[in-house]
Amino acid sequence: MAAVAASAGWLLRLRAAGADGPWRRLCGAGLPRGFLQSASAYGAAAQRRQVAHFTFQPDPEPVEYGQTQKMNLFQAVTSALDNSLAKDPTAVIFGEDVAFGGVFRCTVGLRDKYGKDRVFNTPLCEQGIVGFGIGIAVTGATAIAEIQFADYIFPAFDQIVNEAAKYRYRSGDLFNCGSLTIRSPWGCVGHGALYHSQSPEAFFAHCPGIKVVVPRSPFQAKGLLLSCIEDKNPCIFFEPKILYRAAVEQVPVEPYNIPLSQAEVIREGSDVTLVAWGTQVHVIREVAAMAQEKLGVSCEVIDLRTILPWDVDTVCKSVIKTGRLLVSHEAPLTGGFASEISSTVQMKGLKHKEV
Amino acid sequence: MKKMLTAAVSRVLSGVTQKPASRVLVASCKYSNNATFEIKKCDLYRLEEGPPVTTVLTREDGLKYYKMMQTIRRMELKADQLYKQKFIRGFCHLCDGQEACCVGLEAGINPTDHVITSYRAHGLCYTRGLTVRSILSELTGRRGGCAKGKGGSMHMYAKNFYGGNGIVGAQGPLGAGIALACKYKGNNEVCLTLYGDGAANQGQISEAYNMAALWNLPCIFICENNRYGMGTSVERAAASTDYYKRGNFIPGLRVDGMDILCVREATKFAADYCRSGKGPMLMELLTYRYHGHSMSDPGISYRTREEIQSVRSKSDPIMLLKDKMVNNKLASVEELKEIDAEVRKEIDDAAQFAMTDPEPPLEELGHHIYSSNPPFDIRGANQWIKFQSIS
Repeated sequence: MAAVAASAGWLLRLRAAGADGPWRRLCGAGLPRGFLQSASAYGAAAQRRQVAHFTFQPDPEPVEYGQTQKMNLFQAVTSALDNSLAKDPTAVIFGEDVAFGGVFRCTVGLRDKYGKDRVFNTPLCEQGIVGFGIGIAVTGATAIAEIQFADYIFPAFDQIVNEAAKYRYRSGDLFNCGSLTIRSPWGCVGHGALYHSQSPEAFFAHCPGIKVVVPRSPFQAKGLLLSCIEDKNPCIFFEPKILYRAAVEQVPVEPYNIPLSQAEVIREGSDVTLVAWGTQVHVIREVAAMAQEKLGVSCEVIDLRTILPWDVDTVCKSVIKTGRLLVSHEAPLTGGFASEISSTVQMKGLKHKEV
Repeated sequence: MKKMLTAAVSRVLSGVTQKPASRVLVASCKYSNNATFEIKKCDLYRLEEGPPVTTVLTREDGLKYYKMMQTIRRMELKADQLYKQKFIRGFCHLCDGQEACCVGLEAGINPTDHVITSYRAHGLCYTRGLTVRSILSELTGRRGGCAKGKGGSMHMYAKNFYGGNGIVGAQGPLGAGIALACKYKGNNEVCLTLYGDGAANQGQISEAYNMAALWNLPCIFICENNRYGMGTSVERAAASTDYYKRGNFIPGLRVDGMDILCVREATKFAADYCRSGKGPMLMELLTYRYHGHSMSDPGISYRTREEIQSVRSKSDPIMLLKDKMVNNKLASVEELKEIDAEVRKEIDDAAQFAMTDPEPPLEELGHHIYSSNPPFDIRGANQWIKFQSIS
């Protein structure tokens, strides 16, 4: 239980003191203080592994997109890339080790199917990979670049922020690199430590001109990735690496799109809004179920899906209904994307505050 | 009897000793104090002359190098074992096969010189002075580890050894900076900046070359070319696999990285060059790693087992040194076997310690983020978890 609640987030109270029944219960009146505390409160004697637990919760099988197949996250990504390369003759996939299938097997079989001119390896040079990708995209071809781990994206940060994001604007819409999509494994995996676990979406959220997307499941991943590839803006698609094998769902074989910049309310509720993206969505879902069962609290769960530009309306509408917001994400707290969400919601929500 | 002894002694002196010497022979022959060896000439780039082609190895040095290389080998194999037993978690990059590089480099410089390298650092950690105990317990994440259990395989540091760096190529400019400090302080020290064949294609390495050459920094760039950047062979990653020429305006040497004497001489040569103020030098060490890129890589999907076996049987650095020493009467096989046994015991003791030492206490999780007085609070995964951060 403690591990489940051990997710980065903070509670925001919008309603003035008033109808606070569930809130009081949440605060701990009647609950032992340690209910939501981690094992650290019990002293160093308990040398427990402080790793967040989650259970992947598959969505029901989609019926509107035709025949589906059981796929895990990396297979869904492969399927999306396969569809893209089939549909768009200018599409190319490149990155470190993508030719043999990639270190997470996201590009397995594509080189054999589409040839070595369309699926090829680059040397070890992230800045080069992204810069090269921008160049391809500027000519109009579709570039799908892979950065092997999101932790390695920083040498390419200048290319993304200064070159890719601002190309359309500075050329007065004469040029753009909208057909660039950068894919990268993202997030904690349990044994990644400093350089195989980072979640850098907040760094990129600070940059107008690009889109940042994080899926929570194979079905979402395929639809969102296809949307990113077809979107006329440079997109960064972060794939939660811990879900590559752990998340298994029925995913349509044919291509389909999930719109960007639309958050999804995956559980309706009335007492508190819980917002998350990527792996945390599953933690939050479990928290919502536990809160309902143990505390009688009805949680509304929102998967943000697109970090930039984010769906302000859906989140605000939800918070106006419930009056409370909790955002949970993996990255460091200070300057994390939760701070952006909470300050925007607070600003917009003030108008709706009951007097 | 006398005839037999004479025959035996003359056989010994003629240097033909393929079978292990019998006890009688060992007792009767003396070890040489030193022996002269011819070593491979290094390929040169922008250099008129290179390191010497002959070198003298003393018995003392030979035994020292042998012990060090054997220790590193055993330590890496022990790390492999501990990883498979899940005492070591996360990522573990082993350097067995590359022992001649670590030990040879150390032999060519002084302890006051500086070294920085990538993540395949365990061997250099040892040669730079860390004990096997502190290395293994850092791998297992315990208090006795050199980074207090918080660094792990890729982040080990010692005096004048700056790690242990996870991001490929990032240590290049750092090394140039260390060399700048050496030049600035005027202490006649050099900095060895190591990186791999994969990292040679990173932009920051070129930036480091330029700065080092522009400002004549005493920086020796060393490319440990083990033929594979993770799973990509050098031909598939580099437009030019002559890594010693990639410094362009920096003179370069290509060195046989499996021969410790070759590495030692080349390092001495390069260090002298840099110390004389002529600027940076680039060394490419041709070497090989037996394990895969890391413990999660079996290492055989991009190369054949035959290739690995062939390198092991023909150019294993420990075997090469052993043959040199035994054939030139610098040591006997028994003596080296005793060293092996000592090393094995040391590693086993260290592994035992590494498995039983307690983990660092949870309170230390937040330490050493900033250098600051007074201590401040760091929030953990939720607002009820607080760690104190002390530096």
